[in-house]
Amino acid sequence: MKKILLILLSLFAALSAQAKLNVVATLPDFGSLARQIGGDKIDILVLAKPTEDPHFVDARPSFVVSLRNADVLIDGGAELELGWLPPLLQNARNPKIEVGKPGRVQASQGIRLMNVPTNVTRAAGDVHALGNPHFAVDPIIAKAIAQHIAQSFAAVDPPNAAFYNDNYKKFEGTINTKLQYWGAMMQPFQGRHVAAYHDSWPYFAHRFGINIDVFLEPKPGIPPSPSHLTDVIGQMKSQNIKAIIVEPYHDRRIAETVARSTNAKVVDFAQFPGGIPNTDSYVSLIDKLVSKLADALK
Amino acid sequence: MWEVMFWPIVACILLPWLLVYLGLHVVQRGIIFIDIAMAQMASLGICLAVLLHIDLESWTTFGIALAFTLVGAAIFSATGKRASQIPQEAVIGISYVVAAAAAVLLLSRAAEGDEEIKNMLVGNILLVTPREVWERFALFAAVGVFHFVFRRNFLLVSFDREGAYAKGLRVRWWDFLFYALFGLVVTSFVRIAGVLLVFSYLIVPAVCGINLARRIGNRLLIGWIIALIGGVAGLVFSFWWDLPSGAAIVCTFGALLILVSGFGMIRARLGRN
Repeated sequence: MKKILLILLSLFAALSAQAKLNVVATLPDFGSLARQIGGDKIDILVLAKPTEDPHFVDARPSFVVSLRNADVLIDGGAELELGWLPPLLQNARNPKIEVGKPGRVQASQGIRLMNVPTNVTRAAGDVHALGNPHFAVDPIIAKAIAQHIAQSFAAVDPPNAAFYNDNYKKFEGTINTKLQYWGAMMQPFQGRHVAAYHDSWPYFAHRFGINIDVFLEPKPGIPPSPSHLTDVIGQMKSQNIKAIIVEPYHDRRIAETVARSTNAKVVDFAQFPGGIPNTDSYVSLIDKLVSKLADALK
Repeated sequence: MWEVMFWPIVACILLPWLLVYLGLHVVQRGIIFIDIAMAQMASLGICLAVLLHIDLESWTTFGIALAFTLVGAAIFSATGKRASQIPQEAVIGISYVVAAAAAVLLLSRAAEGDEEIKNMLVGNILLVTPREVWERFALFAAVGVFHFVFRRNFLLVSFDREGAYAKGLRVRWWDFLFYALFGLVVTSFVRIAGVLLVFSYLIVPAVCGINLARRIGNRLLIGWIIALIGGVAGLVFSFWWDLPSGAAIVCTFGALLILVSGFGMIRARLGRN
């Protein structure tokens, strides 16, 4: 009897697992938003680790398998994953997640990207021709992405459409409330300048009224040269810059060296939930980023 | 498993035989790191193409990379003197570091972002496309035929240099030919499989063969078997435990080498008794 019950139970579990939506997200921020919307109605796999550089991700066999079985794929759509996603998709050959299908969410769709290169004849190495792809750290943009995700889930899984829509409404409410609080925390630092290792924060800066416009990298992806760092130190001193933002996969020692000669603080930031401690969701990540930056600027 | 691992397995069956054969030459010549130096030369060429805004997939880029490989071949054949004070391995090492550093300098002047370039230089065997496999198979077959036709000269130059000189062979010219073809093969394989994997395919099967056999034919046969087992088993492990495929194959090779060495030692002891 017990055995039969067990078999039935596992059968049921298998069936209900079958019924769940298979979702793949390229990056952990999209993954976190998808969890908010999908709850227990989805099974999600996030390809990049939160501490991994989103420009470079090592492919493993399970990536191809899950892309092949995916009902929904959420990617940035702004060439951030250009180096590694296209070959994975080519191998997965899954028509359900092709661009234009309801099963494909390209987060950048409908979002006005910043820093689009004015040079139309795109130089061969210039990979971010569509504009800066690090846009999800702006909570208002995150709302738009979440809505896009909810629409996709609803289209692919109509019986649960109301559930997804409710979750989106909840998320929207949370973000709206939080925006007041975050705005108040950043209010005293309006117009202040902040340095960063890599140009990943224009959307965050724009949202909270600060300027993150001095970069340790002379060009995105190019390691800092001595003369460039000398310039950076000069700029930081003249603009009284008090904080340098680094991400987990950047060379923190370079930031520390610059910080020593400018009396600035190195602030550990992450674009992705889980990239720094105690940031298990999108909202807690932005909470953490805002409070860290406010602390450093005090 | 098949639908994901099919083309990687095909690649690991159809392509490495030539690398194993070239590996026997390379180990015999004692120039283990030449593959990495050659690959770095080719990537320097690609970096130059990036700087000149040439499309990375174009034939011009391929031509520039090939030209740099030929420069490498010229350097290595010119420095492989009969009796030189400077070991060839030193020249190879220097070529590698200078080419690598020059690539950094070139990229620092290039347009932003180098994901595409890095991706282009170092491939992932998991993600090979059928077209990539067939293109390389055709190239390797052509190089293989060439090597087979001139096998006497190539083998003499690698395995018995004094004999080659005594026969009046133009050793430097054959060296150049060897390095040029070698560069072509290595560079094209690196783009689908990465540096680690190329290095292992060249060296490990050859060393296993040398460990167990004396005649070149037998060494080659053992090397091919090892390459086949290591490649396919590594891919299977990579699938089972969801590991990065290239690294899984390399570690499988490491384990195979230990097994083969152990077997060789036992056999040697038994032979003495």
